[in-house]
Amino acid sequence: MSNTESPWRQFICRVCGLIYDEELGDPDSGLAPGTRFEDIPDDWECPLCGVTKTDFELLVKQQITINNVQQPTGPQGEGIVVVGAGMAGWSAVKAIRALDSDIPITMISACTANVYHKPELSIAISRGLATKDLIRETAADAAGRLGIRLYSETFVVGISTSTHQIRTTRGTIKYTQLILAQGARPALPSALPAELCWRINDLAGWSGLREKLSEKPQKIAIVGAGMIGCELAEDFAQAGHQVTLMDIQAHPLSALLPEAASLLLRKKQQCLGIDYLGNTLVSAVTETGDGKKLIRTREGHEIEVDHVIAATGLVTDRRLPDNAGIVFENGIKVDKATLRTSAPDVYALGDCVSFEGVPCRFIEPILRQANAIAHDILGNREVTYEHRTPPIRLKIKSLPIELTGLPADQGDWKVIEENQDYLHMEQVVDGLVQSTLRVGSIRKAA
Amino acid sequence: MNNTATAISDSMLWSDSNQLITDVSRVSKDELSKAANRIDQGYYPLDIMGNLGQAGAFAAHLDMYGGRFATSIHAMQEIASSCGSTGFLSWCQDVCGLYMEQSGNPALLARLPDHAQGKTFGGTALSNPMKSLAGIESMLLTAKQVPGGYHVSGTLPWVSHIQHGQYCGAIAAVNKADGTRSHEIMFLLDIDDSVSLRTCPEFSGMEGTSTWSVNLDNYFVGDDNIIADPAAPFISKIKGAFILLQAGMATGVIKRSIDEINAVETTLGHVNQFLQNGTDELESELSELSEKVVKLAETPYEGSKDFLLDVLDARCYGAELALKASQSALMHQGAKGYLMTAAPQRLIREAHFVAIVTPAMKHLRWEMNRLMSEDMPK
Repeated sequence: MSNTESPWRQFICRVCGLIYDEELGDPDSGLAPGTRFEDIPDDWECPLCGVTKTDFELLVKQQITINNVQQPTGPQGEGIVVVGAGMAGWSAVKAIRALDSDIPITMISACTANVYHKPELSIAISRGLATKDLIRETAADAAGRLGIRLYSETFVVGISTSTHQIRTTRGTIKYTQLILAQGARPALPSALPAELCWRINDLAGWSGLREKLSEKPQKIAIVGAGMIGCELAEDFAQAGHQVTLMDIQAHPLSALLPEAASLLLRKKQQCLGIDYLGNTLVSAVTETGDGKKLIRTREGHEIEVDHVIAATGLVTDRRLPDNAGIVFENGIKVDKATLRTSAPDVYALGDCVSFEGVPCRFIEPILRQANAIAHDILGNREVTYEHRTPPIRLKIKSLPIELTGLPADQGDWKVIEENQDYLHMEQVVDGLVQSTLRVGSIRKAA
Repeated sequence: MNNTATAISDSMLWSDSNQLITDVSRVSKDELSKAANRIDQGYYPLDIMGNLGQAGAFAAHLDMYGGRFATSIHAMQEIASSCGSTGFLSWCQDVCGLYMEQSGNPALLARLPDHAQGKTFGGTALSNPMKSLAGIESMLLTAKQVPGGYHVSGTLPWVSHIQHGQYCGAIAAVNKADGTRSHEIMFLLDIDDSVSLRTCPEFSGMEGTSTWSVNLDNYFVGDDNIIADPAAPFISKIKGAFILLQAGMATGVIKRSIDEINAVETTLGHVNQFLQNGTDELESELSELSEKVVKLAETPYEGSKDFLLDVLDARCYGAELALKASQSALMHQGAKGYLMTAAPQRLIREAHFVAIVTPAMKHLRWEMNRLMSEDMPK
């Protein structure tokens, strides 16, 4: 006898997905409404695919967590499509809106598209900041304020320049002009598996690590002692973590700085308790049983840490430009004045572009690039972009570094001024000053 | 005749791609276009499939016939432009041949020439496993190790291009003693008397694809039928090629849709000018899609993530374009295209099939989303 007290249950056919509902039964096959699953005869067949009840299982209604349920918001219609919601993407939107409050703009973002200032990621741990502190404006607020249609957590998978369409993981969208602001992604050597090594290239990556680091002081290895590696090393050390910085070069930042300056930086890092392993190549990273990471090097070192950070440089993903037939030279090749790419009505700016084969990954030019694109799209050809390499400033509190000009591989560095905390050098090539370097604080020195 | 001579003569077959396409095209126009509505309603055209096989339609992509993927896709397009159902059957036959050849199993390789020539037929029961391996649904067949092989049990719904005496590629999960997954095996399932086939509910079209629900109860799989054990590395190797081959189904429907629009240009052009998605636009998109497909077909087994993304993108683009083109064909023909015997209404159902057959558009987007999402430490 069936139990009439307990709630009606539903069973799903594993084969075809048909749902048997005890309350409704299956009158077409002679199962009256209210027939409990256990009372169904063994020779009963699924009305859709014909399997028997052994292929059914209890349907447990789960709270389905669908990531990416964010529906597009904002005005409908074709218009300018911006791919990427980092500083470059949002700058482009703002620059266009400053000139035209009505033209339809659609933004496609692989991430949540919240507005934040990326350079802050290098100094935020030691300042005790949380993700919410770094978000300057939520994506929804910014999209609403600027009147744009936003597809967040959406990937662009293909571009047809001839028909002015982009294909995304949420469907195809037409554009009148397309602005690529897709950024650059960390270049991960094969010895550094993505699932074991953090990359601090966007807010999501930073947030994941930050959550782990907030628990207690931990051991961190940073692979790569370039600008990002050195900035992060100081930030983590200041926050009380034990940091080992590793690089294939003998000294930190050697690709950029003359040896005297590298050594001064190393001295400051030492004062902060940062270990440095130079002339070292990581050959493998594996997980140990207790969740720690074991780093092996070509030189035979074995280091066990809580976290590995890869700071091994950036590359621009070339699949999309290749897919669209857009010329790529270490980055999306753009016109120096207009930021146009090789395809009609397609522009690019920010970390994803290159000028004459040289990538341009600086913050300073982005606003000027955005402004030039906005003017070009809206028909004002008088405002153009002027490309110059901006000074490099490293966010290292203990030893501020400023480098102007592009250092040449050859060419001697000359010390202009030097004392314990300050170093001023110049690189002269063919009688002309090619680069100027100031390391440390002149105020301290004085 | 010795074996070497056979091998040489086999590999010489259909070596001229242009001739192959001309021959397939002729069978498609002469025989298939007349039978298309009958096939749509339930006729399983093995006779015509045999003639297409003789013309080389199912061989060119195989390594033993020169590994010409673009030619096989082109042949499938010629077939699908007359009949979408037969285009789909051709894809089934093509990928089944690919499993047999890439398995390297001598017993299956011995059966390959007959398969490639359309003397024997086999399909593919990989819809469920492909979705299962992508994390979309659970695996329906399970295998237990027994002396000399495996016993496989379970039910697969909706397997096409099979009947008793034919075969299909299939995948089953092998579990450990504690019930957790050990690995998967892939095998050629010979539909013998021990396999029960059940009729499926009626579909809205494409009924001539001989689609059955397959029930296995301790079906024995021995060494001669193993395609890959474990299956996972094999699947990652052939996944791009498997999906890429489907492009011919889409381009066939698109091409025919354009033809149907052109067919009424002289009589209805004066009113059709007010319709969107005309032939200029569709032709330009078809040619862009075809160029992409031909390029990808040069390296069908490339294993990179970027390559797979390009294949998934092209497949999704093809489905989307097929929907748009077939809809446009009916709009351009008007009531004439809505007749039960008219090609455009059949093309619309065929295009919907292209969009929902595994991997469906939503699965393709799910997979692209998964591939493009960054892996980070947990």
